[in-house]
Amino acid sequence: MHARQFGTLIGLAVLCAILWILTPYFLTVSNLLNVAEQTSINAIVAVGMTFVILSGGIDLSVGSIVALSGVVLGVSLKSDQPMLVALVVAALVGLACGLCNGALVSWGGLPPFIVTLGTMSIARGAALLYTEGRPVSGFDAGFRALATGRAGFIPAPVIVMLLVYLAAHFVLTRTTFGRYVYAIGGNEEATRLSGVAIRFHKTMIYGVSGLMSAVAAIILTARLNSAQPIAGMMYELDAIAATVIGGTSLMGGEGSLGGTLVGALIMGVLRNGLNLLGVSSFLQQIVIGGVIVVAVLLDTILKRRKST
Amino acid sequence: MKRSFVLILALAACSLSCNREAPDATKSSKPTVALVLKTLNHPFFVDMRRGAQEAADRLGVNLQVQAAEREIDVEKQMQIVENLIQTGIQALAITPSGSREIVSALVKARDAKVPIVVVDTRVDEKAAADAGVHTETFVGSDNYEGGKLAGDYLLKVSGGKARVGILEGIPGHETGDSRLRGFRDAVKAAPGVSIVASQPANWERDQGFNVFQNMLQAHPEIDSVFACSDLMALGAIEAIAAAGRTGKIRVIGFDALDDAKKAIGEGTMAASVAQFPSEMGRVAIESAVKVIRGETVPAQIKVRLELVTKENLQ
Repeated sequence: MHARQFGTLIGLAVLCAILWILTPYFLTVSNLLNVAEQTSINAIVAVGMTFVILSGGIDLSVGSIVALSGVVLGVSLKSDQPMLVALVVAALVGLACGLCNGALVSWGGLPPFIVTLGTMSIARGAALLYTEGRPVSGFDAGFRALATGRAGFIPAPVIVMLLVYLAAHFVLTRTTFGRYVYAIGGNEEATRLSGVAIRFHKTMIYGVSGLMSAVAAIILTARLNSAQPIAGMMYELDAIAATVIGGTSLMGGEGSLGGTLVGALIMGVLRNGLNLLGVSSFLQQIVIGGVIVVAVLLDTILKRRKST
Repeated sequence: MKRSFVLILALAACSLSCNREAPDATKSSKPTVALVLKTLNHPFFVDMRRGAQEAADRLGVNLQVQAAEREIDVEKQMQIVENLIQTGIQALAITPSGSREIVSALVKARDAKVPIVVVDTRVDEKAAADAGVHTETFVGSDNYEGGKLAGDYLLKVSGGKARVGILEGIPGHETGDSRLRGFRDAVKAAPGVSIVASQPANWERDQGFNVFQNMLQAHPEIDSVFACSDLMALGAIEAIAAAGRTGKIRVIGFDALDDAKKAIGEGTMAASVAQFPSEMGRVAIESAVKVIRGETVPAQIKVRLELVTKENLQ
């Protein structure tokens, strides 16, 4: 079961080794922390995406939910509410968007692609409307510490990322909810027949995704010292890429969060390395796209071989 | 296992091309200056890169140019700055994707003691001061003056009577907001000029088309357009053509792109405010090199602006 995840890890190691040979700037403590910090936002969004994809769905609305939770957070912080209240409100906004997605998918019986495509536009529009299109900027140091703070030498976003992964991994592997995520993605009909409340659990799965987007929004807002209604564009694609590179099957039922974290790190390391090497931004897009396609191609080939 | 093999192949292929391009700052004593642009999919920034590269070649410095994929992606721009700092650049020239948001990235440059030259779009002064960020100089055109130039031109050619539709850039962007303010201030005094609609088209050509098409539906009386960038103006020209009103609506743009100059020559566009991005690139790199050498630079270096019309079109 862990063979594929292991393959991804080797891919990451090889990538790091190549960059270490090509540039003296890659393998330094400060650069590796830099990569980890840059990866944290995509990695957190990809946790929710992994839950959804494991259950056989897809969530295109994560980037827009990042923007909406972000601006709600920004406005709450600006209106002199206690920081904790603002954080909870932002989390609730993300959770609510996710639960709406889930309810429409499970009770409305609509395809996840369509539902979340709609939410993508609705949440983006709501974020723009709420702020009249303008960014909300300038927060106090206490809040910004969520991005600028260090525990020892480890940046705060990296710690948040690791805590999120530990908690989500526990949920996915040690709870009945986690088992149902795999079961629904593996064979929804069989799961339903065995008496699992499919609709409820599916709704919760999309709720997890919305909540993760909100957590990412908190880090992003603290990092930029600004909440932008146009933030998070294309995050859905980065999160899907991290999940898929990490070996989670788009068909559902197979995959792991460890793989997703490694997938997100591969993307982060690639972007960082290409910057360090001074590769033109156009070529960077080609390389990143190539890696995604190759990873999925291998996934497909491996699966075909297994089934024959 | 097989995945890692392919990764190796992909990276080996990439590394071949990388090696050729990557200037090796470790082996040469040439200082490296980084130029971080908003994007490279806009002719304006491509011109700026050209000017910067020429200056860098002439002055004997390595130039590292990086840009985000999309103009509005501040987070990606911040990542680029963080990554470039790791390579030990001696100066950073940057066109901020967001006047306030970029300050977080500049803080990292300050901490690494990399001097900062701001190009084209200003950094929000208050946000920079709050964060304790000092920038060496600002190199750019005065967008407010440019907007005013466009407004004055409209007053002149319309005889003080016009119904204007405005296509704005992304809301909250200093560049577009200043152009808009300049234009509005110029036409404010004329009682015969009324602004009947003003909507953002986010700097993009296709959005310029759609937004102006909608504007024309709602306000068929519009006889003049001011677009805060040529790409949006060119979109509006297509919308005007689609409505069969080519030549009946004055279009004034900003940037004097090649396509816009062509349109001015053909008479589908009235005028465009010319900026000189390659000059901005050149001056930015020259200033960065001066700062590296310990020379002083003025806090602000204005790059000229010019109104391009059919009369002065070369």
